[in-house]
Amino acid sequence: MRVAVFRWKAVVPLLLLGAGGLGLWLAFADRIAKRTAESVGTTLVGAQVEIERLHIDLRHARVEIHGLTVASPFEALQNLLQADALVADLDPLPLLEKKVVIDRLTATGLQFGTPRETDGRTGGQADGVMGQMQRWAAQLEVPALQLATGKIRMDRLDPARLSTPRAAAALAARADSARQAWDSRLSGLDAAATVDSARRMVERLRGAKPTDVNLLGDARRTLGQLQQAQDRATALERSVTSGIAELQVGAAGLGDARQRDYAIARGLLKLPGLDAPDMGAALFGSAAVDRFRRALYWVELGRRYMPPGLLPRATPGPRRARGAGATVRFPRAHEEPAFLLKTAELSVQLGAVGAVPPPRTYAASVSGVTSDPALYGQPATASATAPGFRLGALLDHVRPTPRDTAAASLAGVALPPVALPSLPIRLEPGVGTVALTFSVQGDQVRARWTMQSDRVRWMRDPGGSASPSPMGDLVWRVVSGIPTLEVSASLVGSLASPRLAVSSNLDRALAERLRAVAGAQLAVAERRMRAQVDSLVDGHVAPVVAQVTALGGGDLTRRLGGQRAQLDDARKALEQRLRELTRLPGVRLP
Amino acid sequence: MLLLKLIQSLIRTLHSEGTPGQLAAGLALGAILGLTPLWNLHNAVVFALILVLNVSFPGAMVGWALFVPVGFLLDPAFDWIGRTLLLETPALRPLWTALYNVPVVPLTGFNNTIVLGSLVFASAVWLPLFFASRWGVGRYRATVAERVKRSALYRAVVASKLYNLYRLFRPEP
Repeated sequence: MRVAVFRWKAVVPLLLLGAGGLGLWLAFADRIAKRTAESVGTTLVGAQVEIERLHIDLRHARVEIHGLTVASPFEALQNLLQADALVADLDPLPLLEKKVVIDRLTATGLQFGTPRETDGRTGGQADGVMGQMQRWAAQLEVPALQLATGKIRMDRLDPARLSTPRAAAALAARADSARQAWDSRLSGLDAAATVDSARRMVERLRGAKPTDVNLLGDARRTLGQLQQAQDRATALERSVTSGIAELQVGAAGLGDARQRDYAIARGLLKLPGLDAPDMGAALFGSAAVDRFRRALYWVELGRRYMPPGLLPRATPGPRRARGAGATVRFPRAHEEPAFLLKTAELSVQLGAVGAVPPPRTYAASVSGVTSDPALYGQPATASATAPGFRLGALLDHVRPTPRDTAAASLAGVALPPVALPSLPIRLEPGVGTVALTFSVQGDQVRARWTMQSDRVRWMRDPGGSASPSPMGDLVWRVVSGIPTLEVSASLVGSLASPRLAVSSNLDRALAERLRAVAGAQLAVAERRMRAQVDSLVDGHVAPVVAQVTALGGGDLTRRLGGQRAQLDDARKALEQRLRELTRLPGVRLP
Repeated sequence: MLLLKLIQSLIRTLHSEGTPGQLAAGLALGAILGLTPLWNLHNAVVFALILVLNVSFPGAMVGWALFVPVGFLLDPAFDWIGRTLLLETPALRPLWTALYNVPVVPLTGFNNTIVLGSLVFASAVWLPLFFASRWGVGRYRATVAERVKRSALYRAVVASKLYNLYRLFRPEP
């Protein structure tokens, strides 16, 4: 039986189904796009993105978003931004390639830092960038203001780290070795045998005649042997003298080693940073690191989602019941990027409604934000200028080495309060100026954050985590009389290990006062530390010093002196006898 | 309830008027729907084929239902296949790049590792599945079908209201 291949009667239901599907899509397109935009935005930012209403205007290729709220990825109950309305004019053709090209975006009623009722942070959803930045910030060493707790601590001193015991052991070994060598050479002199030989020769010469040429020759050789023995003794004496001098220098060097050990032990003292730069870092280092971390977070997100080059890029796939997998983009030269925002005009409102000073509205612009900078060929830029406010940013990922720079300054706005670490004190800078410049080229970062205010208020913060202490009271007395604030922090170096430097006008005043108060405590701590080093070192140093001293004035030099005296006496006696023989006329001692 | 419906559908399908080939083709096409993530453009094409081609629609639905859990289970394997093809096979890169920049094709989601991996897998098993199903249905009808037809369960299934709906899409001779 032949079976028909097509089921023609199903064509009409299929068309009806397709039309129904299209109708449903049109009916729910706004809702689907809203959910997709919220999901993608949340993944990108690392915090909740909420949209009140989204409308797709197919006829005009336009998307309208009303009531956009983006939660802060850093603060629990704060929004990063809110916008009353965003209108995006799309290029429709790239949509067929699943690419979004926004010719022009206008945003009105943008506000930053508004409060929210729920925690909008999603943490790990931002592809791990937040965790990466937290680890980065943790590596920056911010000294703690430990005098605030009134304690100076010392870590355990590891004897293996001290250099004096090692130097003492080496000196002892050298002294032992030298002593053995000298003993050996002294025995090798064999002065007694030479002296005995000389004495026997003197005896033989007593009955000799001047004409006994053979005997005189023997006497001459014996005299030569005496001379050689004396020379060897002299050389040995010289060696012993210089060797002992060197050992004594080594013994004196043990004192230097001990000083170095004191320095090592001093390094283990948990002293408060009493230098002005340390003080600045202790007071405002955490706040500065937090600002830099936030700036770097956006730079890192930019680099992740706007990478240079045209290689295939994998990003996490869409969330669905099935596995998400990875979605790979394959950019190609002369094609449209997967995402491109050509220009955006933003109306920004700074300052809270009802606050003093009242909120101001500024205009800002953004251009060239794209997922494939190499395709677009131009860097992404952002700029905003208004009285007292200036912002400029450039993300240049067109070339292989990305270059991100940003500079922003804001004057005449209420600055956020700063809690001083380890102290029950809170600083309310009031209205002031804050500025941040940031430049990341490749993996080299150069950043600066400054904050200035002429009318700061210092608040005691008994509800804070720091417990009251006498040192905290002292800091309070010092800072509460200072009406101005100038903080400057810089971050320089590679992203992997940058150097942080922080200074403020409080540093010197606070450092001098704390140094005066802490002086006595420091002296006690240093004495304790020295005693601990001495107890570990003395047992090694005393024996070796005694050993060197004994070598310098002891047995060896006495024995050497005795042998030299015997050789001298024997030589004199032999020479005397020979002289007597050579007094006879006609005979000369050769 | 879902399981009962599945059994009901399976029994009806096996005893439908369609040939074993129609039933097997429907089952194999339905397997594509089950193995790959559903909301993708290629599945719209597969669904249209199921409707327009003279294959067993109930067979396709059974295939879909049977292979959905298999798809979930094999997602890690699909991801591996997709990654290998998309990212770790340089020879295929020009093909993906070309497809990615052709209108409409990116809407299929082919550049997702799980979509591509599952689609490749489903395509690879389509023919074996078709032949195995055809052989299985033929054997079933030749051996136990008549006894099942006389059973109370079969009569209960056939008597249900859903049977009428099924008749709308049963394969044509």
